[in-house]
Amino acid sequence: MDKTVDSYRFLEGVPRRVMKQWASLGAPREIPWTPLAKPLSQCAVSLLSSAGVALITDQPFDQGIERRDPWFSDPSYRVLPRTASTGSARVYHLHINPSFAEQDLNCVMPIERLNELEALGEIGRSASSHYSYMGYTVRPEALLQHSVPGIIRRLREDQVDVVILVPV
Amino acid sequence: MGLVQREIEADGFSTISLSMIPELTASVGVPRIAAIEHPFGLTLGLPGDSVRQLEVLRATLRALEEISQPGTVVNLPFEWKSGDKLNMYPPEPPPIARYLRRHPWHFPKFLRRAPPEIRNV
Repeated sequence: MDKTVDSYRFLEGVPRRVMKQWASLGAPREIPWTPLAKPLSQCAVSLLSSAGVALITDQPFDQGIERRDPWFSDPSYRVLPRTASTGSARVYHLHINPSFAEQDLNCVMPIERLNELEALGEIGRSASSHYSYMGYTVRPEALLQHSVPGIIRRLREDQVDVVILVPV
Repeated sequence: MGLVQREIEADGFSTISLSMIPELTASVGVPRIAAIEHPFGLTLGLPGDSVRQLEVLRATLRALEEISQPGTVVNLPFEWKSGDKLNMYPPEPPPIARYLRRHPWHFPKFLRRAPPEIRNV
């Protein structure tokens, strides 16, 4: 039988109640659509993680913003090169156990796996850069108005076709 | 994440979310979802499990290729063995959890995603 994913299997108590409630808030609206223009074997693919991943050599995300205003998190984003590897990044998201992804970045940002699919010829290429931001915010305006346009500009410069968004 | 996906798709990129809470992601109206029943912080799989990570990534791309109707959710077939006792929690409770314990009257606002007015700083 085909599997149906249980959205709440790993949630209990208050977080479970909150996620169920939030899922009920959306109103039907038009869904944007960009059809896949060519076979994946010719596409450039980029990853976008909401885990708050930054290279150890890069500026950390500011966790103090969310500690001072718990409705909001650092709305900036970080760029990770396609050469980023396990052990080269830290995870700043305050709602998850960061240790898994700090042991192995591919748990949340499968940059090395994407390079393997490129080597196998299953995708055209892994993009030059991948991106991450801090996923938790109840005030997404700054993220949507400032960071997302910056990410989109870079995706376009890199001639990316496909973006895989990876929540945590 | 869904709101971000909408913006990127609208700007001319084909997108898919690999979501562990597909009901939540779908609720904002996103073009494509690959739903996965994995614990938080382990979207692609356990550290070092490169076989599972590659399979999940490949299945996500396949779902992206297959989906032809906006708003489609593809349920990925991966099973999580519940025997693995994992600590999914952050080293300290998230700031909102501590805040709501001290300000329980704000909980209904949190449920509505209606934060209090921003104070002038």
